[in-house]
Amino acid sequence: MTTKKKRSVHNDKDSWVVIAPDSALDTGRSEEGDPSFIKLKSPATGSSSLYLFGCGDVSVYEVKAFSEDFRSWFIGQTVQRDGRLLYVTPIDPLFLLLPYISRTTTEGKFQPVEQMVMDEDYPGCTRLLLCKHGLDSLHHVADEKEVGGSKFHRYNQEKTLEWLEKKVQRTVSTLKKSNISVGGGVKSSTFVRVKQEDATEEDYLRYAHGLISEYISEDLSKDLLKHLQLPEISSPKETEPPFKKRKLSDKPVEAGEDYTKFNSADFTRKPPKKMTAAQKSLAKVDKSGMKCLSAFFSPKVKQEKN
Amino acid sequence: MDLSDFEADNSVSCRLSSSIPDVCKTEDCCLGIDEAGRGPVLGPMVYGICFCPVSRKEDLKNLKVADSKTLTEAERENLFLKIDEAKDFVGWALQILSPNTISTSMLQRAKYNLNALSHDAAIGLVQHALDCGVQLKEVFVDTVGPAEKYQEKLSQRFPGVEVTVRPKADSLFPIVSAASICAKVARDHAVKSWKFAEDLGEVDTDYGSGYPNDPKTKSWLLKHLDPVFGYPQFVRFSWSTAQTLMDSKAVAVHWDDDEEDGEKAAARQNNTSVLSYFNRSKPSELSHTRDTHRFFTERKLQSINTL
Repeated sequence: MTTKKKRSVHNDKDSWVVIAPDSALDTGRSEEGDPSFIKLKSPATGSSSLYLFGCGDVSVYEVKAFSEDFRSWFIGQTVQRDGRLLYVTPIDPLFLLLPYISRTTTEGKFQPVEQMVMDEDYPGCTRLLLCKHGLDSLHHVADEKEVGGSKFHRYNQEKTLEWLEKKVQRTVSTLKKSNISVGGGVKSSTFVRVKQEDATEEDYLRYAHGLISEYISEDLSKDLLKHLQLPEISSPKETEPPFKKRKLSDKPVEAGEDYTKFNSADFTRKPPKKMTAAQKSLAKVDKSGMKCLSAFFSPKVKQEKN
Repeated sequence: MDLSDFEADNSVSCRLSSSIPDVCKTEDCCLGIDEAGRGPVLGPMVYGICFCPVSRKEDLKNLKVADSKTLTEAERENLFLKIDEAKDFVGWALQILSPNTISTSMLQRAKYNLNALSHDAAIGLVQHALDCGVQLKEVFVDTVGPAEKYQEKLSQRFPGVEVTVRPKADSLFPIVSAASICAKVARDHAVKSWKFAEDLGEVDTDYGSGYPNDPKTKSWLLKHLDPVFGYPQFVRFSWSTAQTLMDSKAVAVHWDDDEEDGEKAAARQNNTSVLSYFNRSKPSELSHTRDTHRFFTERKLQSINTL
C-alpha cells in the first residue's frame, strides 16, 4: 500500500489524502489510460457511489472515506480543511454487476452480458465488463450457454445464494483472524474484549451477513438470511411506543395528599400584623357608606341590587 | 542575569536559582514571594522568591530594596546586582512560566486557570527552598485572588511555616520587594531578548509594554497575526485580546471541546432535532434507507459519491 497525495494550492477541492493499493495506481502501461474515479450505482442502496477503475479498467475498487468531526490535514506547506482519509480497496466486480443481471430474472431469457449491463444514469457501468475477474466469475450467479462462439447468460438465484454463502463463510474466517468484536454487547470497535469466546458462531454469521449485505440489495439480503437459516431479528428501532397514553383506570384523578389544611381557619389565624403609621391613619377613616373594593368584582352584589 | 537556561527552550517553564547561603541552612529564615508579568498578553510570567535569615532583615532594608513598580528599570537592575552580591545571606529563585505554558495550561481540556498556575508556581518555589535546606519560618506573599483563601492554602501546604498573605506585600515587606525585583528583572530580560522559535524573518521587536491596553502592543498583535497559526509562542493565546483578534481576523478553527449551543451543534452534525421524535410521521427519506453496518459506522467509514 502506498499513500498518494495530490495537491493543488489553488483549489481545495482538488486535493485529497488517499490510501490505495499499488495495483490501483499502476500507470506503467501508458496506452491504457490512467486510473479514474467514476460514479456507479451502489448495489445496496441504488444510489450513486464513487468507485475507482484501475489502469485499463482491469480491476475496480470501492472508495470509502474515514470521516470524523474536527479533522484537517497539514500537507507540506498547506492546510487542507477536509480531514477525510480516503481508502481505495478492491471490490469484487460481480457485486456491481449483480443488480444488472438479477434485473433480467423476470424475463428468464438467456442474454449476452453486454445487453444486460446497460444503464442510462450510470453509463460508466459498461466499463465493468472489462474487469476480467467479473466476467470470469459470472457463472457464480448465472447459467451460461454458448452458441456459436458467443456466450449467453441467465440469472440464477440459487447459484447466487450459494456464492453469497461462500462469501459469508470467508468473511467469518477473516473476522476471526482479525479479532473483530462481533458480539451484540460490543458497541465500540476500540473496546477490546479480554475473552473472545463469548461470541458465538451465530454472532459471527450475523455480523458477516451484515457486512455482505452492504454490497447486495435489501431483498437479496433477506433471502440470504433465510438461506443461512438465521432467524430474522426485528430491530428494536422499529418498535414504536403506543400511539395513545394508556389509561390506568376510569376513576377520576384525585390528589394523593391533602393540601387544604393550609387554607383552613387554623392556619389563617395569625397574630395581627403591626401596621405602619400610614395604614393606621387609614384605618381610622370613617368608612360608613363606602363599598369594599372587592364588592365591585363579586357577582353577588348584582343580585342584591335587583 | 543569566537567562540562557530559559532561552535554550522558551516554550516551557524554567527554574533559575542562586546558590543557597550557608546561614540560611542553620538560622531561621524569612521568605518573600512575588510575581511579574501577570497581566501582559506578551511574554512570560515570572515568579520570584527571596530569602534571608530573620536576624538579617535589617541588612536587607539597608540595601534599599523597594517595590519594583516605584523603580526605574536601571534602578531595578542595580538592586538586583546588589541582592545577587549579598550572597552571604540572601538567596533567590525564579520560576519563569513561558507564554506557551500559560496558553496551553489555560486552554487545555481540563482548564487550569491563571490563579491555580500562579499558586502552584509559588508553592513549587517554596518547596524548592525547603528542599535545599533553607530553615523557613516565615513566608510573605503578595496575594493572588482572595488573600485569606490563599493564606489558608499555603499554611496547609506548609505546616510549621508562618504564612502571611497581604495585598501590596511588596511595599510592606523588604523581602517581598526583593523577590519582586528579581522577578521583574528576569521578566524584562526575557521579553527584551526574546528568541522567536518561529521562522518569522525580520520580526518587529517594538511591541511596547506587552499589556493589552498598550497601543504599540495592539498594533504589533495585528501585524503578526497569521491566518492559520495565529501567533508566535511569544503571545499568550488564552488572553481575550489575542482571542478576539484571532476570532475576527484568522481562519475559524473548530475543536472537539468547543462549546456550542445545542441547536448549532445539532445543525453542524446534521442531527435530527429532538422535536422530530414527537412527530408521528417519519420523514420520508429516512423510512427506506438501511442503516449502514456497524463495522463501518464504528470505524467512521462512509461511502462517498463526490470527491
